[in-house]
Amino acid sequence: MRKDIAATATLRPFGMLKSLGARVAVTPNPRTMRPYDGSLAWASGLLLAIGLVMVYSASIAMAEASPHTGYRAWYFLLRHGMFLATGLLAAYIAFQIPMKAWQRLAPWLFVAGIVLLLLVLIPGIGKSVNGARRWLSLYFVNLQPSEFMKLAVVLYAASYAVRKAEFLHARQPMRQTLLKGFLPLLVVMGLTGGLLLLEPDFGAFVVILGIAFGILFLGGLDWRILVPLAALLPVVLGAILVAAPYRLQRLVAFLDPWSDPFGKGYQLSHSLIAFGRGEWFGVGLGASVEKLMFLPEAHTDFLLAVIAEELGLVGVLAVLGLFIWFLFRSYAIARQAMLLHRPFAALTAQGIGVWVGVQAFINIGVNMGVLPTKGLTLPLLSFGGSGIVANCIAIAILLRVDFENRRLLRGFVE
Amino acid sequence: MRTLTLGSPTARRAAKPVPALPRLRAPFVYAFFLLLFVGLAGRSLYLQGIDNEFLQEQGSSRYSREIEVPAHRGRIVDRDGEALAVSTPVKSLWAFPGKVEASPAQLAQLAKILELPPQALAKKLAPDSDFAFIARQVPPEVADQAMRLRIKGVYDQNEYRRFYPGGETMSHILGFTGDHDAGQEGLELAQQEWLGGKAGSRRVIINRRGDAVEDVAAIRAPQAGRDLALAIDSRLQYLAFRELKAAIDANKAKAGGLVILDAQSGEVLALANWPTYNPNARNKVAREKMRNRALTDVFEPGSTMKPFTIAAALDAGRIRPETMIETSGGAMTIGSHTIHDAHANGTLSVEQVIQKSSNIGAARIALALPSELMWEMFSDAGFGTPPRTGFPGEVSGRLRPAKSWKPIEQATMAYGHGLSVNLVQLARAYTVFASDGELKPATLLKGNGPVAGKPVLKPETARAVRRMLEMAVQPGGTAPKAQIPGYRVAGKTGTAHKLEGRGYTNRYISSFVGFAPASKPRLVVAVMIDEPSAGQHYGGAVAAPVFSAVTGAALRMLGVPTDAPVNNVLLPPEGSEVREET
Repeated sequence: MRKDIAATATLRPFGMLKSLGARVAVTPNPRTMRPYDGSLAWASGLLLAIGLVMVYSASIAMAEASPHTGYRAWYFLLRHGMFLATGLLAAYIAFQIPMKAWQRLAPWLFVAGIVLLLLVLIPGIGKSVNGARRWLSLYFVNLQPSEFMKLAVVLYAASYAVRKAEFLHARQPMRQTLLKGFLPLLVVMGLTGGLLLLEPDFGAFVVILGIAFGILFLGGLDWRILVPLAALLPVVLGAILVAAPYRLQRLVAFLDPWSDPFGKGYQLSHSLIAFGRGEWFGVGLGASVEKLMFLPEAHTDFLLAVIAEELGLVGVLAVLGLFIWFLFRSYAIARQAMLLHRPFAALTAQGIGVWVGVQAFINIGVNMGVLPTKGLTLPLLSFGGSGIVANCIAIAILLRVDFENRRLLRGFVE
Repeated sequence: MRTLTLGSPTARRAAKPVPALPRLRAPFVYAFFLLLFVGLAGRSLYLQGIDNEFLQEQGSSRYSREIEVPAHRGRIVDRDGEALAVSTPVKSLWAFPGKVEASPAQLAQLAKILELPPQALAKKLAPDSDFAFIARQVPPEVADQAMRLRIKGVYDQNEYRRFYPGGETMSHILGFTGDHDAGQEGLELAQQEWLGGKAGSRRVIINRRGDAVEDVAAIRAPQAGRDLALAIDSRLQYLAFRELKAAIDANKAKAGGLVILDAQSGEVLALANWPTYNPNARNKVAREKMRNRALTDVFEPGSTMKPFTIAAALDAGRIRPETMIETSGGAMTIGSHTIHDAHANGTLSVEQVIQKSSNIGAARIALALPSELMWEMFSDAGFGTPPRTGFPGEVSGRLRPAKSWKPIEQATMAYGHGLSVNLVQLARAYTVFASDGELKPATLLKGNGPVAGKPVLKPETARAVRRMLEMAVQPGGTAPKAQIPGYRVAGKTGTAHKLEGRGYTNRYISSFVGFAPASKPRLVVAVMIDEPSAGQHYGGAVAAPVFSAVTGAALRMLGVPTDAPVNNVLLPPEGSEVREET
């Protein structure tokens, strides 16, 4: 007990974080507190709702003009709505599953995910769109295994970190830490990443790597490995650049889309124009010009650009704010779980935070021209059935962690 | 923090020792995320609040367009406001053939909608051309139906199409418009400045396909053209055309013309030509059918000139109406030339020279006049100068200077050979007799009632000639068939050999120019039939009945009071008509 208090106290040097951590992690009165995290549910629900409205707005002109949708303006609205309904149903089911069960299921889910990723690569089973083989066709909808793989990686990496806690931590000899703690996950993630790169789905590859190493880092991977890894990164990057300088050009091409606005910089230049047109309060819902077939992928990867144009800086800040709040809640829930000595729950909550955080950051960064263009959707908002369902399940698991935290705080013992 | 004192976790930890998660790493990771997101917010602020001007300019250059708004061309209406030429909105479909993406079924449907043979459509869309009109100036609903097929690469554009309700009856005077609805022929060309609108322009936002999706601002409002009121009376025009065409059919003639002038104002109330064409479908019309012959073609008038010769002599006091002229023998030799009358007459009074249309009589009178005097008379009556109607391409006809006249030429000019006129000129010249000696201006545009013309003759001379012209349509004259029940008529026939190459042929131009009612002339009507070839060729037989039919109906349509009993028409027994040649 004293140790717990002492542990909280160590936060002091971090000023703001200390007070945040202290206040949010522990609810004042367990008797009157609600059984779940209301603000997290609201933030998620708001993001999903904004997503539904904006997906409709962004897709309407394109859907109306496309023979693939049968010229139906509401084509994407209807589908996104159905995805949301499916996602909420999946979330309801996921919420019923205790974290203990998730922990047991984690390796199997991961294996299932690998199988799906393999299936995708088999011609005839996997469906290819624009040269990328990312989908499994199931009569009505297409399943995108990489989206579910992100969730599986969160659960698997968390369960792995808990299982291998001893080896991750610095109490073991370096060799043990490396061989039993770090390398197995590196190999498994390397394989998973390899499958994703074969599709290719570079965006999912980056997110999954981010989740896995984020969880390893948060799970306590020893500095003796972290420091060389951190040192190795610039070395590797430098080597690539020396070996093939053109990669650098491709990598930084996004920094100046105006040098080739009708070629390589086309998408980005239109995204930036959308931001510029939006100004402070936007041109008004539905009034975007960029979505009129100028901006490709307006309802998926570049949804934020449409939000920026129609709802202005205010709309963008609202979305950013909701994401920050989402991350903050995942931090607080994880911290509470940690304090309650539930490392799997804590790492899962953080993993979900890292997932949403990394993916949202990359997507928004791409929209704003600060990151190279990669095919990644904006989590919770962009059009895409698998993504939305996977996101909903992740939120449900986050709420489940918090739900169990609160039960424990009330004095329930499993 | 207080809740931590609950204690149960501590108990669990004791049961299964697990290495605690590092405490500082999570705040570090999340603080890093916070930093990234704040960075994104800053970037958004920069793009949307600070650097937006550049981005908006870039945006405008991509989807802001200035488009032309076609202006409505003014209508052409007749003197009563009846529409003769109107512009209606139509659409044209065009494509970049190389970029058209259509299924065979879509192409079949498109061909069906546009009523094109599928092969013709395929030819238009042959990928070797860069640009092609698929259909020009089709009704908007047809174009819309075609656009609903949503064939990629097919576009439509708004245009105006000129429509002429009068069709072939009025085509020559109106002319037609060409590309961009600009005047190309006739009054459409002459009055382009007045009729043509000035296209405006608008700034619009287009989508990527190029469709305007939003109106931003009007830069320049289109200026519609103004309506143009013609002197034409469409009822008279239809009447004139109908009767002219009937006469041409009946006489198997090659061509013909008919002009109705208002005797008081000189306005052109009707101007019909044959052959003609339909301006609404003029794709394969021969150029020569488009000529407004009444203004752009000349012919030798023949005997219709005789009244001017007589008038010159009367006005100069050289003769009086009852002066007797020797014409016996039916032939007269001047130098090496001989001139003839169709039928030998004896001694004729001046009045009878007109009535019987004696060439010899007219020649004798002419030869007694100084050539300058005669030239002056002809010139004053408008011959040899364009009628100045404002019609593009109107001609002046030929009237050589008096100094160059040889006696034989002066003699033949007395009865209308050796000079040439157009039909409007001829009709206009007769306003001198229809009024009390004033030449009225011939105008195609609507005026404001009677105008004072240029005095050419003494009023008593004009009245004297008018009486002679009245006698010409009486039994004993050359044109009893020009009579009209209820109205007194005055007029003169013409039957001229056609001049071809260097000599005269046995083909004729039959004409009649007259006016009615003779007591107070209201209409001057000139009829010209080119090469009648159904047996008859005398003006009195071919042109005079047309005059009678048209003028009679026109006077009744206009409600002109009668000046004679309705049983006034007296026709001589069959076979005893007086005939004239030239």
